[in-house]
Amino acid sequence: MSSRALAPLAFGLLLLVVWQAIVVAAHVPEYLLPSPTAILATVDRSLAVSFVVTFIEALAGFLIASMLAFVIATLFVRFHTLEDGLFPIAIALKTTPIVAIAPLLVIWLGTGWWSKIVAAILICFFPVLVNTVKGLKAADLEYRELFETMGASRAQEFRKLRIPFCLPYLFSALKISSSLAVVGAIVGEFVGATQGLGYLIIISSAHLETATLFSAIFAAAFAGIAMFYAIGFAERRLIFWSSGDAE
Amino acid sequence: MNAIVLADRLEAAPISPSKAALSIADLRVCFGSMVAVESLSLTVRRGEFVSLLGPSGCGKSTLLKAIAGLVAVTSGQITPADTNLRSGFMFQKPLLLPWRTTLDNVLLPIEIQRGGSAVDTTDRSNARRMLDLVRLGGFESAYPHQLSGGMQQRAALARALMCDPDILLLDEPFGALDELTRDTLNEELIRIWQSKETRLTTVLMVTHSIPEAVTMSDRVVVLSKRPARLIEDVAVPGPRPRLPEDADTGAIIRHVRKIVRGGG
Repeated sequence: MSSRALAPLAFGLLLLVVWQAIVVAAHVPEYLLPSPTAILATVDRSLAVSFVVTFIEALAGFLIASMLAFVIATLFVRFHTLEDGLFPIAIALKTTPIVAIAPLLVIWLGTGWWSKIVAAILICFFPVLVNTVKGLKAADLEYRELFETMGASRAQEFRKLRIPFCLPYLFSALKISSSLAVVGAIVGEFVGATQGLGYLIIISSAHLETATLFSAIFAAAFAGIAMFYAIGFAERRLIFWSSGDAE
Repeated sequence: MNAIVLADRLEAAPISPSKAALSIADLRVCFGSMVAVESLSLTVRRGEFVSLLGPSGCGKSTLLKAIAGLVAVTSGQITPADTNLRSGFMFQKPLLLPWRTTLDNVLLPIEIQRGGSAVDTTDRSNARRMLDLVRLGGFESAYPHQLSGGMQQRAALARALMCDPDILLLDEPFGALDELTRDTLNEELIRIWQSKETRLTTVLMVTHSIPEAVTMSDRVVVLSKRPARLIEDVAVPGPRPRLPEDADTGAIIRHVRKIVRGGG
């Protein structure tokens, strides 16, 4: 393992040791700040199930939102009237806080999977849409002229020029929305759920089971990080020609 | 391809019986109220190397793009002598696709022509031949970012030659390169134009370098400031390679420079 990966691990471990020492030495009550070992003791099957539930909700929302946003971005670039008419609505949707919409989603879709998936969709959709529209317009006029001199059809121009040029933009949006998806799912669970990390967080805080609360928080963070790094890995594989982010 | 674009726009135009490759008659190109090209007539003969020379922003690139069908003609006509005339276009920038290897970049026109999948081994060996011709053999699997600016422009030339053009339209093809690389590539271009490796016979090149135009061309067409009008059509006799230092070539360079200074 490289020293670049080793350094944060070592510091993280040191932090945990200091944390443990302080909690034990100062007799901090567990409901205020549980020790790392007490948190570790709460890691059980029910935490794992909660994690899987939230992860699936977030992933489903992320995938649906990304595909939907990509298709709509394509239509926006192809039909400008659509872009002019619908972009303001998309912005309005984006500026409405997801926490404000979540209760409505539960009324409409119930306390099951779909209210969380839709919350994740709503939060993921906008960054992907904006960046994809930008990315699909990123190929310079000269490149488009080159394709024109070769007699390329609109579909060929899209497939062989615009989409590859869009990929760096798409992936920087996917990285943002992948961690947002977890936020959406958890917000959905806060409002009305019978399972998942959001539900676990609400229940354990109500019962002052702070150690469980902590393990749920860590699990939520881990879900976001896992998604982010998976996208980053795919990005490096796919977009080998571009260094740096396209924001 | 381009020839089709040319032919489509000019279906009613008479085909010149002479040795013309391309005839331009009373051409006018406007963008809104801005006139880029005005009452321009020009005939490019088959086998000729013609330079379009003029100050920056004079409309010479617009003229070349009009010939390629990239900008709409406002009035007048551009008539290819042969409706099957095939043209290749080369820009100032290499415009290689960064996710494609050199070989795949050169194959792009074929993919587009055939509508995608049907690139066969003949096409591949053709592409390799073109890369050898521009002296890029051995760089087939390199990506554009691994090539120098000059090499990228060589690859762009190979790509333009890949559709087997009769006429090559060059828009300041080596203008973005340093002088040494530019001189070398100009020589290479003359070599390829003279070689029998391709169908290529006619070259129409936009430039704003007087020595470049005079040393390379059979004719230098001097254009005015915008809107581009033809000031003088200067024939350059004598065998190649020519050097700006040669007495005859030097005299023509001075002559052209005088026209450029006086005109427009």
